[in-house]
Amino acid sequence: MSLRLASRFAARELRGGLRGFRVFLACLALGVAAIAAVGTVRESIEAGLSREGAVILGGDAAIGLTYRFAEPEERAWMEARSEAVSEIVDFRSMAVVDRGGDVERGLTQVKAVDSAYPLYGEVLLDPAMPLSEALADQGAVMDRVLVDRLGLSVGEGFRLGDATFRLSAVITREPDSGAGGFGLGPRTLVRTDALEGSGLLAPGTLFETSYRMRLAPGTELAGMAAAAEAELEGAGLRWQDRRNGAPGVSEFVDRLGAFLVLVGLAGLAVGGVGVSAAVRAYLDGKTGVIATLKTLGADRATVFQTYLLQIAVLTALGIVIGLALGALVPLAFAPVIEARLPLPAAFAIYPGPLAEAALYGALTALLFTIWPLARTEDVRAAAIFRDAALNAAGWPRPVWILLTLALLGAVVGAAAVFSGLATLTLWSALGMLGAFVALIVAADLARRAARRLARARALRGRTTARLALGSVGGPGIETTSVVLSLGLGLSVLAAIGQIDANLRGAIERDLPDVAPSYFVVDIQNDQLEGFRTRLDANPAVETVESAPMLRGIITEINGRPAAETAGDHWVLQGDRGITYSAAPPEGAVVTAGEWWAEDYAGPPLVSFAAEEAEEMGLEIGDSITINVLGRDIEAQVTSFREVDFSTAGIGFILSMNPAALAGAPHTHIATIYADAAAEGAILRDLADAYPNITAIRVKDAIERVTGVLGGIAAAVTYGALATLITGGIVLIGAAAAGERARTYEAAVLKTLGATRGSILANFALRSALLGLAAGLVAIFAGGAAGWAVTTFVMSTDYVFEPVSAIAIVTGGVMLTLLAGLAFAWRPLSARPAQVLRARE
Amino acid sequence: MADTVLSLQDARLSLDGNAGRVDILKGISLEILQGETVGLVGPSGSGKSSLLMLMGGLERATGGQITALGRDLTALGEDALARFRREHMGVVFQSFHLIPTMTALENVATPLELAGAEDAFDRAAAELAEVGLADRSDHYPSQMSGGEQQRVALARAAAPRPDILLADEPTGNLDGATGEAIMNLLFGLRDRHGATLVLVTHARELAERCDRTIRLADGQIAPDLAARAAE
Repeated sequence: MSLRLASRFAARELRGGLRGFRVFLACLALGVAAIAAVGTVRESIEAGLSREGAVILGGDAAIGLTYRFAEPEERAWMEARSEAVSEIVDFRSMAVVDRGGDVERGLTQVKAVDSAYPLYGEVLLDPAMPLSEALADQGAVMDRVLVDRLGLSVGEGFRLGDATFRLSAVITREPDSGAGGFGLGPRTLVRTDALEGSGLLAPGTLFETSYRMRLAPGTELAGMAAAAEAELEGAGLRWQDRRNGAPGVSEFVDRLGAFLVLVGLAGLAVGGVGVSAAVRAYLDGKTGVIATLKTLGADRATVFQTYLLQIAVLTALGIVIGLALGALVPLAFAPVIEARLPLPAAFAIYPGPLAEAALYGALTALLFTIWPLARTEDVRAAAIFRDAALNAAGWPRPVWILLTLALLGAVVGAAAVFSGLATLTLWSALGMLGAFVALIVAADLARRAARRLARARALRGRTTARLALGSVGGPGIETTSVVLSLGLGLSVLAAIGQIDANLRGAIERDLPDVAPSYFVVDIQNDQLEGFRTRLDANPAVETVESAPMLRGIITEINGRPAAETAGDHWVLQGDRGITYSAAPPEGAVVTAGEWWAEDYAGPPLVSFAAEEAEEMGLEIGDSITINVLGRDIEAQVTSFREVDFSTAGIGFILSMNPAALAGAPHTHIATIYADAAAEGAILRDLADAYPNITAIRVKDAIERVTGVLGGIAAAVTYGALATLITGGIVLIGAAAAGERARTYEAAVLKTLGATRGSILANFALRSALLGLAAGLVAIFAGGAAGWAVTTFVMSTDYVFEPVSAIAIVTGGVMLTLLAGLAFAWRPLSARPAQVLRARE
Repeated sequence: MADTVLSLQDARLSLDGNAGRVDILKGISLEILQGETVGLVGPSGSGKSSLLMLMGGLERATGGQITALGRDLTALGEDALARFRREHMGVVFQSFHLIPTMTALENVATPLELAGAEDAFDRAAAELAEVGLADRSDHYPSQMSGGEQQRVALARAAAPRPDILLADEPTGNLDGATGEAIMNLLFGLRDRHGATLVLVTHARELAERCDRTIRLADGQIAPDLAARAAE
C-alpha cells in the first residue's frame, strides 16, 4: 500500500524536472560509460580474435616445435589430416648491410616460410606485389622500422648469416603477426630454402618451427587436438587451433581489460561522491516537503520509499545514458581503434559488458545514496516550524549500516568474479577504502586546521586569507565533497604515476648499471673457444660469461602431468633454457641439497632455481621430466640454488649434470660486459668473425620492453583520466552548488566594504587550499600504493618519484581553482541589493 | 546649522522584470543632516528599502543624483562604492545577513579588517560585549537565535564607527520584546557614537523615536510630508 502511495508521490515530485540532478546523472553516466566502453572494446577484440582465429594463427590448427623440424612421420601425420600444411621457421638473427666497408647491423626476428604460406589471409607489401614474387630469387621483405634503421632501399642487398638476400618490398601487413609472442626485433620474411648455406639453422641453433594446417571444413578440432596429443605424445609439441589463435594476446587483452575495469570502478567511486552530494542537497531542500508529508500522516516507510523511488528512476536514467555512451563511443571510434590495434576487432554492441557496467552502476548508486535517504527518517513533522536541515550529524540506524556493508561486499564481489583477478580486486578495494577513509580524515583535519588558522593572531588583518580559511573551516559539506572527489581521482593518477616511474626506473635506471652490453646466442661448439679468446684479448671487454644452452619443456613432475603439481606457473608455459655444468657456476649459492660430483655419470640430476621451486611446490628428491629436442629426460632434483634474473645476466631455471645432456646438439650463450663506447666495435668484430651468431644489445631490448610498458601505462592512464574527469564533474557540481552561497557572501562582503578584487582573491584562495589538501592526500595515497606494488608485486626497492607528485598537486590546485573561478563570475557581478533583498 | 550628510536630487530607480520595466522610485529629492535620525515609512512596495539601498550605494540609481558626505555616489564604480561604505557607512538588515561560515567575532571583525584596522579583533570583541554577546563570540550564526544574530549585525555595523548608519526594518523578523531591545541598542549606539541614522520601519513607535519621518507612497515622497523632507 505504502509503495503505491510512495510511487504516486514520487511521480508528482519528479514532475519538477531534473534540475539539481545534472551532476548526479553526469557522474553515474560517466562511470558506467567508462566501464561499458572498456568492456565493449575488450569483447570486440576477443570476438575479432575468435572470428579471425585461423588468419591470426595462420591455419586452422598449428603444431609448434622448439629447436627442430618435424620428423617425417610427424609431417606425414599432419599431411594425412589436412588439405594443406605450411612450415614456418622463426628465429632471431642479425641483418647486415655492407656498403663497401660501411656496415649497418640490426637485430631481426626472421620468419622463413615455404610456398604454401600464408594458408589464410594475405601479406600486404609496399610496393604491392604477391609474396611469392617478392620472395623469389633470394628476395626478402622486412618491417618498415628495420628498413629505416638499416637505411635499406628496395632492390638493395643484405646478409643474414652467410646468406645474401635482396630487399624486394616492405611489409605493411602480416596476417599472422599476432600469433607470435614478444619478438625482440622487427620482422624479416624469407623462403626457408633460401637460408641454405647461411649457417643459421645448424643443429643446436635456437629456432622454432610451426606447422600450420588447413583442415577440411567441419573438422572437429578438439578431437584432432586429442589425437595429436595421443599419437605424437612425448615429442614436446605445442598444439594450437583457431578457437584461440593468439592465446597470449587474448589473455593479455583480458587481463588489461579487467584491470581497466577496476580503474573504471575507481571512477565510479569518485562519481559516487558526487551522487551522494547531489542526493543530500536535493533532500536538504525537501525537508519542508518531508515535514509536511509527515504532518499530513505519512509514515517513515512511505517517505523513504517516495525518495528511494525517485533516486531509482534517476539511477536508471543515468545508467541508460552511460550504457548508450559506453556502447556507442567505441563503435564511433572503431576505425581509429582498429587502425591502432595490431589485432582484428569485431566492433558491435555486446550485452555482456553492458550488463556488467549496469550492475556496477546500480550497486554504486545505491551504496552512495542509502545514507542520505536514511536521513529522511530523522525529519520530524516539527521541522516545518523550524529551519532544520537534514545534514544532522550522527549515524543512521544499524540496518542501514549493515545494508551499506552488504552493498560494498556486492560491488567488490562482483568485480572479483567478473575480472577474474580476485586478489588484485580485493587489494584495490582495500586501497580505495583506505584512500576514502584517509581523505575523509584529511578533509576533517583540513577543516579543523583552517578553522584554527583563521583565528590565529598572525592572520588578523589579512582579511582575504582569513576569510578563505574561515570558509574552508566553516560548516557545510563543500570541503569534504571536494577533497574526497578530487582526492580520489588524483590518488588513482598518483598511484599509476608512482608505479610506472618505479617500474621504468627499475628497468631504465637500475638495470643498465648491472646489465651486460650484449647478450649473444647461437655460438656453435667449435666457435666458443675462438669467441672467448677474441674477447679476452680486447681491453674494452671487462667480463665474458658463457654457458651451454638447450631448450626444453617440463612435461611431468613425479610422473604426473606438471600442471597437476605446479598449476599454471610461468616456468611451465612454453619451453625454458637448460644448461649443464659439472661444478656449481661461479658465485652460485646452493640453498638446499647438494651439487653432483664433478665426475658424476649416473642417471640425470638437476639443480632447480630456489624461488621458482618453492612457488611450484618442488622438493629435493622429486623427479621432473623434461622434453629436450623431442626426447624425454627424467631427472632427479638434487639441489636448489639462487638465481637472480634482475641483472639480465645468465640465469637458468634448470641446470643438469653434463652427462645427462651429452650428445644433444646445442649452442652456447654468452654475456659480454664492456665499455659502452666500445660496444659498436665489439659487435662489428664479432659479426665479421661469426656471421651466424646473434648479438642482442641489452639496451635495445630494454627499450623495447619499456616501449611495451609505456603502452600499458598509457592505457591505464586513459582509464585513470576518466576517473579524474568524473572527479572534475563532482568538483564543478560542488562549485555550482556553492555558487548561491558565494553570491550571498559576496553581497554581504560588498556591503561591508570589500572590493571585487579582494572577494575574488578570497574565492581563489579557498579553492586552491582545497585543491592543495586533495593533492597532498593523493600523493600520500599514491605513494603508499606505489610502495605496496613495487615492494610486494615487483619485489624492487621503492623510490618516491617527485615529478609526477608535483604535477598532481599542481593539477589539483589548478583544477579546483578553475572550477572555483568559473563559478565566481556571478557572485562578483551580482548587485548586493538584489541578492540581499531576495533573502529577506 | 549642521552639515548635509546625504542629499538626493530627483533620484530614480527602475528595474527590468519579467513583466517589463518597473519604476520603483520616481524622482526623490531630500536632504539629511549630520546627526539626524530619519525614519522612512510607508506601505509595502512603496520603495522604502530601495531608497535606503540607493543611499548605501548598494543599488545604482537609474536617474538623478545621490551625494553622501559630499561624494557623488552615482559617479563611483562598484569597488569605489565598497571602499566608501567601508569608511563611512554601516548597514543593518531585516534578515541580519551574517556570513554563515564565520563566528560572531569574525563577522564583527570583518569590516574592521577590510578597513585595515590593526586591532580589529579587540575592537570587535569590545563591540560584541557592548551588545551583550561577549560569551557568544565563538558561535556560528546558525547556533544563535534571531535576536542574537541581529545584535551581532548591529555590532558589525557600528564597529567601524560609521558616519551614516542605515537600518532596513531591523526588527521586522523579531518578536516585540526582542525588537524593542534591538532598537534600544541601535539608538544607544547612535547616541554614543553620533552617527546619522536612516531607518526603514513599519512600526509607528519606532518612527516616532526619530527626529524626522519621511513617508513614501508609490515610489514618491507622500505630499503631506514632502515639504518637511525637503527642509
